[in-house]
Amino acid sequence: MGRGLVWIVLALAILWSAASAEMGLDKLPGAAPRLGEFLGRMMPPDLSVWREVLQGLAETLRIAILGTFFAVLLSAGLAVLAAETLVPAAVWRPVRGLLAMIRSIPLILVAMLMVGAVGLGPLPGILAITFHATGMLAKFYAEAIDNVAAAPVAALESAGASRTQQLRWAIWPQMAPVILRDTVFRFELNLRESLILGVVGAGGIGLYVQTYVRSFQYDKAATVTMAIVVLVLASEAVNSALHKRFS
Amino acid sequence: MTAAFTLNAVSHHFDGAAALREVSLSAAPGERVALLGPSGAGKSTLLALLDGRLRGWHGEAGVLGVPLSATHALPRELRTGAGFIFQEFALVDRLTVYQNVMNGRLARMRTWPSLWGRFGEQDHLKVAAALEDTGLSGLARRRADQLSGGQRQRVAIARCLAQEPRLVLADEPVSNLDPAHAERILGLITGAADKRGIGVVFSSHQPELARRFAGRVVGLRAGAVQFDKPSGQVTSDDIDALYHGAAPGAGLRVVS
Ligand SMILES: Nc1ncnc2c1ncn2[C@@H]1O[C@H](COP(=O)(O)OP(=O)(O)OP(=O)(O)O)[C@@H](O)[C@H]1O
Ligand SMILES: [Mg+2]
Repeated sequence: MGRGLVWIVLALAILWSAASAEMGLDKLPGAAPRLGEFLGRMMPPDLSVWREVLQGLAETLRIAILGTFFAVLLSAGLAVLAAETLVPAAVWRPVRGLLAMIRSIPLILVAMLMVGAVGLGPLPGILAITFHATGMLAKFYAEAIDNVAAAPVAALESAGASRTQQLRWAIWPQMAPVILRDTVFRFELNLRESLILGVVGAGGIGLYVQTYVRSFQYDKAATVTMAIVVLVLASEAVNSALHKRFS
Repeated sequence: MTAAFTLNAVSHHFDGAAALREVSLSAAPGERVALLGPSGAGKSTLLALLDGRLRGWHGEAGVLGVPLSATHALPRELRTGAGFIFQEFALVDRLTVYQNVMNGRLARMRTWPSLWGRFGEQDHLKVAAALEDTGLSGLARRRADQLSGGQRQRVAIARCLAQEPRLVLADEPVSNLDPAHAERILGLITGAADKRGIGVVFSSHQPELARRFAGRVVGLRAGAVQFDKPSGQVTSDDIDALYHGAAPGAGLRVVS
């Protein structure tokens, strides 16, 4: 019975979505040739805009680097407050809840709000990346803290090592590789996600996508798209190489 | 001379379950004491207490002339007095053998240089000596997670020796080793202690080894001292009664 119900709900959901004139489904038959025509207008890509494209990519890279940098700083502090092994549940539970909430807000939404708050340009992009990335990174760092084996730390404490010495010689050696891996991983995500920030005016290459599409210069938009694909593939290659080293 | 340790009617409970019951014991400096007893008898608890790591116990306890507190940890500089060899070695896996042994000396250094890995000449000398004593000199640069169990145990011993303790505490130091290794390790610990004129308290599940390497054997059962005798006077009846006899609150517990 349960299974039949699932199918019925599914069918109803699809019918409900399609049964509205606003979805424009009546235009669907004509869409394929139009898409073809559109793609035709992207060809051949106009490579003369390479300067703008490089500038946009550089800005995106800067946004990702600075956003990651500030997120690392924030996460280091918040991770301590989110670590089950360091602070009472009355502290880490709400902090983790807050981080989960931050993670749940899509980056593009954060970016729009930041643009509203501080105006157009790369700054809102950096702030948005910082905010968004901290939700994940602080949680990862907190888990790295919680996964530190307690016995070696207790051994140093028993031998009379100070708290900072325990941190340096028992806790940090266990955490460092994990932290490094998580940070690199998050940087790659930041880079990918910051590619679209420009669409809402928060800096980077996305601005050119926006501009060229709005002004019907599809051949230039094609160049930008290709550049983005290359960047994503390159960052993926770098990341998988690093993953091999850290595993 | 002050006793190595004195316990006067010491009791401890974990969540209401007794782990130590009115234990009164003491040992002279340089004495070798073995703790025997079935699982759950309270051996690890007693050793943690002597190491100053247990909180919330009752009674009176002093180690190397320093009274222990049930509520506060010993101040840092007094913690070097008792050196502890942990059952699971408690090494930092990603550090070298050398650094793990150096970690035993942290309490004797100024904090700031030690954080940057700048250790004194004296520290390097003591580490070298501890490595030499434990036969680890050739492995100094090896990472701790690339060692066999026996080698790891020796690193743990070297770290304890580098600490220059005045009493060695060891929780089942040979439980993970083959018989020949077990003898060598116990010989190593007691030999190094003798060389330094300091006492050893170790727990074990091997009555034979305990009798051979300790001058005195303490039988613990269900948290209470069942016998306390010079090794030569421990009979097989004592051992039988310790492991098989009935005792209040002991025996197998239902695992839920
Ligand atoms: N951290 C803890 N929390 C709760 N109960 C504990 C804890 N540590 C020990 N106990 C209990 O205290 C009692 C004594 O434990 P202890 O570890 O001292 O025994 P042991 O003689 O060392 O045993 P083994 O030979 O198995 O190592 C046991 O009943 C054990 O279950
Ligand atoms: Mg034990």
